[in-house]
Amino acid sequence: MEILKALAIGALFGIGLYQLLRRNIIRSAIGLAIISNAVNLFLLSVGAYDGVVEAYAKATGQRSDALPQALILTAIVISLGGFAFVLSLLYVISARYRTGDNDEVKGLSH
Amino acid sequence: MTLLAILPIVIPLTGAAIAMLLRRRFQLQAAWAFGAMLTAFVASAYLLWVVWSTGQPVVYQMGRWPAPFGITIAADLLSAIMAAMVQFVFVFGFLYALGAKDKAVRHSTFYPLFLCLVAGLTGGMLTGDIFNLFVMIELVVISGAVLTAMSDDRYGPEAAYKYFLISSVATFCLLFGIGSLYVSYGTLNMADLAARIAADPNQTLLPVAIVLLSVTFMIKSAVVPFHFWQPDFHTASPTPVSAMLSSVVVKIGVYGFLRLTTLLVPHADWLRALLIVLGVLGIIFGGLGAAGTHNAKRMFAYSTLAQIGFIHVGAGWGTPLSLAAAILFTFNHAVIKSTMLMLSGYLASRAPVKTASFSVIRGTGKYAPLAGVLFFIGGMALAGIPPTNGFVSKLALFQSGVQAAQGGDFAATTAYWVPLLLLGVSSIITLVYVFRAVMKIWWEPFAPKSPEEKVKPYGDSLLAPGLLIAACLALGIWAQPLLQLTQDASAWIRQPQAYVQAVLGGETGWQR
Repeated sequence: MEILKALAIGALFGIGLYQLLRRNIIRSAIGLAIISNAVNLFLLSVGAYDGVVEAYAKATGQRSDALPQALILTAIVISLGGFAFVLSLLYVISARYRTGDNDEVKGLSH
Repeated sequence: MTLLAILPIVIPLTGAAIAMLLRRRFQLQAAWAFGAMLTAFVASAYLLWVVWSTGQPVVYQMGRWPAPFGITIAADLLSAIMAAMVQFVFVFGFLYALGAKDKAVRHSTFYPLFLCLVAGLTGGMLTGDIFNLFVMIELVVISGAVLTAMSDDRYGPEAAYKYFLISSVATFCLLFGIGSLYVSYGTLNMADLAARIAADPNQTLLPVAIVLLSVTFMIKSAVVPFHFWQPDFHTASPTPVSAMLSSVVVKIGVYGFLRLTTLLVPHADWLRALLIVLGVLGIIFGGLGAAGTHNAKRMFAYSTLAQIGFIHVGAGWGTPLSLAAAILFTFNHAVIKSTMLMLSGYLASRAPVKTASFSVIRGTGKYAPLAGVLFFIGGMALAGIPPTNGFVSKLALFQSGVQAAQGGDFAATTAYWVPLLLLGVSSIITLVYVFRAVMKIWWEPFAPKSPEEKVKPYGDSLLAPGLLIAACLALGIWAQPLLQLTQDASAWIRQPQAYVQAVLGGETGWQR
């Protein structure tokens, strides 16, 4: 189970990072959303230290640490707001340059 | 009385909410926002006075939950100095915004966002809970990015996008770090974490967590390999905002490093060595970068890299004197850098086209002699020439380095002498680029591209930079109180157990 979890977090983070580094600005925004999900999954699995199980593991009679769930809730809300803001920025930028290519969006370089 | 610790955060936040309600009445909103900022500054200055005079940290437990369970707001001397510094500079930021001619400043969401920025920044510095630190940093990132996106500069949205993307990566690193610390030690309270890390420093995930937190603070404070967002972002934002971003907003990372190296992991010598190396890199790169720019605002944004480098070197040395010098440098740099960016913004507001690019503002200085005097004194302060506060902070750093270099082996001595040498070289480079700007703006003739382009007869108000320059001179001539304050603060943060005891109430932590 731990291996599966670790692989899932790693895969999500890898995919997100790959998308973040793509040249298309819309893809990099989506990469941001995927990484935030990797972080949330990591925080969820953080709830499992010795003697405590994660919230999603259905083991009767065992305690679950509630704090990471509160952390994830906060992180989700914040990243949702941030993602909405990024999308609105993308709207402005792509309306100005008529492209999503990072190499064409270069007003800052001069 | 303990409620005092939370007032500097709560006043701007409530002020922001009420200012949002006043969005249809601009004059009233501006006056209200300035009043809220002034009240918050009075509260944080009083907090600093209380903490300093009683010698006890002011600790507020939110909702009266005992320390490791609830959120703690803990103002020890370092936090109180930082919060007072932030709000002191922000008062002048608001003052500049009141007299600014930008369109962005007239927007109805400007003042609420500006208040949110100061609330997040102060909160990040006063909080004693590492997850609350994440929330506050996120508040700073969002409000800073939105303020830049609505800038008059047409590249504002791009700069905001760039900043937000890089900052989000930093935020995710911080969250990963927080998760690693929580899974290793089962707590999020900084004091409790410090006690537990001291008791068991060999957890597998601890170095991972430290590296992740360091990456976050490096991106926040624009340490050299992580600085790519900084010059663009600080150039494109509206002048009052860029003056705040480049002077106090980068200090959240500095504060993070000071806490990390003294409270959480005082045993991590490699982190201190890393700070010295990166600081030296920043001094070289920032100085040379500033000397090669074509825009006054961008020049000062690069100069921030160099100055932050000095602060990191001071934090990396970690001796009592050098920590005091680092805190003093933080304070003085905030005052100087906000002034210089305001003056650049003032020149941009007088120029035919609203930009601080040297090709546009060249020669406009003939019509702004008062700004020239202020710019000259500010440049002296930036380079560290007496009788300005820049000299005091550089002298303090130099003395601490010389004293610590006595009697070490070769490697240790090199770690002191290389930055000390660079301190002198950097002052010369600073003089070079400041005088390059003075020559271009005040000495060269005004040469418009077409005869219709004229220097505007009026611009932003010079009141805020004037008062800040007065503060620079006052802090340079009457430096003793601030010097004493920072030395006390460095003595405090070198005894983390006092902080831990004040927060946890004498207990050594809770048992799971």
